[in-house]
Amino acid sequence: MTDIAAPTRWKRLNLEIRDHMPFWQQSIAVAAAFAVGLIISVVILMISGVGLADLWNEFVVFIFTSPKNISAVLVQAAPLIIVGLSAGIAFKARFWNIGIEGQVIFGAIGATLVATYDIGPEFLRLPLMAIFAAACGMLWMALPVFLKLRLQVNEIISTLLMNYIAFNFLLHLLYGPWQDPVSAFPHSEQFESFERLAPLGWQSLNYSLVIAIALVAFCAWLLLSSRYGFLLNFVHSNAKMARAVGIRVALVTLFAALASGALSGIAGFAISAGIESRMTQSFFIGFGFSGILIAFLARNNPLAIVLVALFVSTLMIAGQSLQVFYQIPFAMVQLIQAIIVICVAASEFFIRHRIRWVE
Amino acid sequence: MTEIPDRNDASADGGPDLNGSDPVLTMSGITKSFGDFLALDNVDFDLKKGEVHALLGENGAGKSSLMNVVAGLYAADHGTIHVSGQPVSIKGPSDAQDLRIGMVHQHYKLVMPFSAVENILLSHPGGSYEQSLNQMREDIAQKAELIGFDVDTDKPVASLSIAEQQRVEILKVLVAGANFIILDEPTAVLTDEEGQRLLNAIRKLADNGNSVVLVTHNLSEALNHSDRITVMRGGRVVDTVLPKDVTPPELTRMIVGETISETPELSKVAGVPQLKVRELQASRTDGLAVIKNVNFDVRRGEIYGIAGVGGNGQGELVEVLTGLLPVTSGNLYLHEKGDITHSRADERRSFGIACIPSDRQTYALAGGLSVSDNFAISGVLNGSYGSWSRIDRRKMQSATDAAVKKFDVQGVRSRTQRAALLSGGNAQKLVIAREFSGQPGVVIAHSPNRGLDVRASAAVHNHLKSARDRGAAVILLSEDLDEIMLLSDRIGVMNSGAIVAEFDAPADRHAIGKAMVGHD
Repeated sequence: MTDIAAPTRWKRLNLEIRDHMPFWQQSIAVAAAFAVGLIISVVILMISGVGLADLWNEFVVFIFTSPKNISAVLVQAAPLIIVGLSAGIAFKARFWNIGIEGQVIFGAIGATLVATYDIGPEFLRLPLMAIFAAACGMLWMALPVFLKLRLQVNEIISTLLMNYIAFNFLLHLLYGPWQDPVSAFPHSEQFESFERLAPLGWQSLNYSLVIAIALVAFCAWLLLSSRYGFLLNFVHSNAKMARAVGIRVALVTLFAALASGALSGIAGFAISAGIESRMTQSFFIGFGFSGILIAFLARNNPLAIVLVALFVSTLMIAGQSLQVFYQIPFAMVQLIQAIIVICVAASEFFIRHRIRWVE
Repeated sequence: MTEIPDRNDASADGGPDLNGSDPVLTMSGITKSFGDFLALDNVDFDLKKGEVHALLGENGAGKSSLMNVVAGLYAADHGTIHVSGQPVSIKGPSDAQDLRIGMVHQHYKLVMPFSAVENILLSHPGGSYEQSLNQMREDIAQKAELIGFDVDTDKPVASLSIAEQQRVEILKVLVAGANFIILDEPTAVLTDEEGQRLLNAIRKLADNGNSVVLVTHNLSEALNHSDRITVMRGGRVVDTVLPKDVTPPELTRMIVGETISETPELSKVAGVPQLKVRELQASRTDGLAVIKNVNFDVRRGEIYGIAGVGGNGQGELVEVLTGLLPVTSGNLYLHEKGDITHSRADERRSFGIACIPSDRQTYALAGGLSVSDNFAISGVLNGSYGSWSRIDRRKMQSATDAAVKKFDVQGVRSRTQRAALLSGGNAQKLVIAREFSGQPGVVIAHSPNRGLDVRASAAVHNHLKSARDRGAAVILLSEDLDEIMLLSDRIGVMNSGAIVAEFDAPADRHAIGKAMVGHD
């Protein structure tokens, strides 16, 4: 017989499941995780030879005191906001769109098609480019969403693989029929001035930021106060229950997926007509990953997506100068993003659990 | 027989002597509070060798809390525990295991892709994987045979039924060497037939010299399958009695502190047929034909009970009626709407067909969303709360407040509280509040009292009767024959995917039972 004698009363840590955490505490937990991620990133950057003072200068002082840098951050943020919205609305329907890059490529192809073949009168050219971009992004989403809803094909695989098809089709166009006849480089002809998003008149800012803000307003309305957004919450939370209670889950999912494709397409238009003034071989790189990351960190909330996109954009711009002045590889910027994502993901654990001393 | 002395033979008197023998496990003066809430108030409980001891009480009476203390999951604030006369301190599940105390919880703790033998090995690691796997297999087979269990130990647990998974959990506890075995509401998730098999196995466990605590809120289980009954209410022990000394009404009074007795009360206003089901056939998504030939009418102002052993197509029938599962042939006719066989789920709801599903956490509530959202969803769908472009949150919330009050949903601290935090009975009341908000003409209720205590299930039954009395056609599917007999005006018996017999209330219970198990 084992006697369980208890001469000393040890204190030990106990892990308990938490039923509920108030919103403000959740916000603090996420903010704290974010801070931890930043601290880890700072340590890594310092180890790779950038002093603390230099980091402060590059990431805070130079960015926020120079109008040129502020505008660079905002210009970069516009397409990031749009891809963030694209990922956010798809994730809200639990449709895991990993194919944002492919849809961005097709959006740019749609816009470039209008520009290259001079479709429509000049004053309608830009709106037509935007519409074609949205339509092509949606088109590129149509096959995965059809496969998902009709045949239960996993959309993670199908959207991901569609990226490769899109990329190779892009190369075909740029090395073939749409190659720039002027320079003979593998990129499209430069857009005419009325085919580019006009400058806003302050630094390098242009209308892509206005488009991004308008789309944020649209998504905020759609997700937060329209009936569709209310139904989407149920599809997100419990699709079986949603179906049983009379929500047409397939229709709601279809709309979210197509909207996601259209938004990515518009992002492709914003990059090509707002930043590059043409379609290049590499304009889309990184937007898929960034979009997913932004939507995740912002918990699919359209307003939070703006903040996170601005943060990611600041990282990218500061990362460019780190690259130039300190020979830090650009991969470091992606490393920082990844560290912060992991920290915020880990904070979920503390939201769901509580650790306490017990006797 | 082996010469190795079993620990159980220490008392050396062979079979259990229930009235005379000293308790082998005693808990005295156990007190446990959570914040301001006193879950256990000076509770005494004991367990004798070879007995099945039923611990009876409503949801929240403190039964599970008490057992969690002895299993080492909760630390008591005060009180002592003696095992075989020695004072012990149980600081964690491993202490409990060393004392040979094992508990099977309501929610199973199994790794789904692993087989039964791997799951059991996981909680008792040691030796090389292959070796211990084989040894474990033998060990399990031996224990299983002792109590008449058959489980395929090499299939992934995910592919086992709930009843089989439960057996794995019980075997896990036995392999760990437990001879104090605590089963927390073991029959709540089982069908009648499976429950009966389990209760037989529990008896065998006790006959082998183990002591079993059967935590339950089911009266007949306690009365027919235990040696002693301890009743708890509000964190205290009301009394410990022998089953032969007590009648069901007395036991009910002990459980709820007052008499709740439900009496059958037939419909006065049965009218025209509201829903007609004709030669219905349907297959599950995996192609298996489960509904073979279902015909029945439900009139306005009556409750049509569908009795039957679980798994005879009841779940699929609910899905077909609500439009979630397509028919292969046959027709559904709704009064004034005509043929609705091919109407979508949302259309049927707009025609006034409401449903209270048996698995409310999966099919009736979105646990992560608020009480208010869960209540309002049906109203949002029919346009009661704002237009497509704008949800009227204020209207939604005042309607929620009114419904929470009217349907007596307790435990709602705020409207934004997640629905998952409601207890079973209150969650069910919320579902009923929503489903009844549109004054439905047809109500389909599938096992509406599953997991509810006496008081909550009486409330649910009253809601069904009041729906009937205002003229709704109510279809009640239940494996609980008592529930069917109590509420139904007419009773159909479902067997192997068909309605095989129909009775008018008051019906002969024996005849219904016969139709339930017949094979033609």
